[in-house]
Amino acid sequence: MKWIGALLFISATTWLGFEWSNKLTRRPKHIRQLINALQTLEAEILYSQLPLHDAFSSIARQIPEPCASFFQLVADRMIEKNSYFETVWNESVTTYKESSSLGENEKEILLQFGRTIGQHDFTQQQKHIQLTIKHLERELQDARDEQDRYGKMAKNLGFLTGLFIVLLLI
Amino acid sequence: MEEILRLFPGEIQYAIKKGVGYRWDKLQEIRVRLHQPIELIFDNGIEWITQASPSKKDNTFIINQLSEFSLYRMEDELREGYITIEGGHRVGLAGKVNTVNGSVKAIQYITFLNIRIAKEKIGVATKVIPYLYKNKFLNTLFVGSPQSGKTTLIRDVIRIISTGWNHIPPQKVGVVDERSEIAACLKGIPQHNLGIRTDVLDACPKAEGMMMMIRSMSPEILVVDEIGSDKDVQALINAINAGVTVICTIHGQNLQELKNRPSILPLLEKKVFSRIVLLKGQTSPGSIQSIYDENEKNIYQKMGGLPNEVDRGTSLHKRDDMARI
Repeated sequence: MKWIGALLFISATTWLGFEWSNKLTRRPKHIRQLINALQTLEAEILYSQLPLHDAFSSIARQIPEPCASFFQLVADRMIEKNSYFETVWNESVTTYKESSSLGENEKEILLQFGRTIGQHDFTQQQKHIQLTIKHLERELQDARDEQDRYGKMAKNLGFLTGLFIVLLLI
Repeated sequence: MEEILRLFPGEIQYAIKKGVGYRWDKLQEIRVRLHQPIELIFDNGIEWITQASPSKKDNTFIINQLSEFSLYRMEDELREGYITIEGGHRVGLAGKVNTVNGSVKAIQYITFLNIRIAKEKIGVATKVIPYLYKNKFLNTLFVGSPQSGKTTLIRDVIRIISTGWNHIPPQKVGVVDERSEIAACLKGIPQHNLGIRTDVLDACPKAEGMMMMIRSMSPEILVVDEIGSDKDVQALINAINAGVTVICTIHGQNLQELKNRPSILPLLEKKVFSRIVLLKGQTSPGSIQSIYDENEKNIYQKMGGLPNEVDRGTSLHKRDDMARI
């Protein structure tokens, strides 16, 4: 009975470790997606001169989940009656953060970006998008470092912590 | 009026709806100023909506609605200072202006909005049309002071000509709409009824536009708004000599005043216009004072007979004709 419990405990901590490491691997991926999306947005605004709503919908068709559903959500909620853009954007960002592996920093960057979008002319809009991309690139670098440093360790650490506690308890 | 109400956030929308009630046909303007009560201007007076003064957030909401959340697409509109919305309504903008080399680039902080309600008066030109036709439509000049209803009249003239009138088949009409007032185009689609055979060159400088129109769309009738500069007059003469009938409007009170304007004088001296329609003025928008032919002879007959008039044929209006009763 004791052994079954110990096995269960170890597998649980191992699973936690894997989950953590997964999150670490997914974060750079998601940030890169977001950067891609913003670059597409820039093109849609500058060259196609699409209205924001159409631009978001077209981005949502081009990029993979979960970023796609974020842009689709914003696009859908924008055209609802009586929607304040800032509220829509903020709520969508919060939902997005929960469904993806983005961190608190990225959320903050996105929130700031939301306050500038659609409020300026082409050149300023472009600058704001570039700035956001720059910020995100810095985060991407951090995320990559973190992945390199902790990625492998997280997996091992889960298993080893489990083992350690089991040994203590026995 | 849904297209106007949708611009406002919930609370203000409700307040305006309540404030206007059933008087949408009398409403001329809705003026919105940041942190001030909203002003409604009716034909017969001003009213204020005090319970809802727009905050900064509401202002952003309105501007987002106007620009479809995309202010960057409104570069031209922000330079001109107005946006045309669905239904041909005009939203005038004011606020902080950005300049480049001394000329206006854009309005940056839009804090004052003036929503001017467009009213199409279908049928106002039916009285004038018979005077403008003699075997073919004649070159016509509409003269009137501001807000005398020139544009409204000319719009209806366009509609009648391009949908056909009595036995006259519809004609091809080309409109050069420099100030987007005649057609009130939204993305190139006229928001007013201009008939079926009308082509519009929206927001195009008149002088160039007239030639473009003649070259590309082969109109039979060319309509322009508010001629004034030498260049306009030059282009106008060119157009007339190209065999196109021109209908246009100009600011002015009477013929004498027009003759005092050096750029317009040659037009009158050369007898370019076979008909000159003089409008009464602000007090009674759209009503006609006189119509001159090329020899400056008034050919306008007051329509509608005297009440109880019996003699047959005195009145052009059937309903006033008492002869057969």
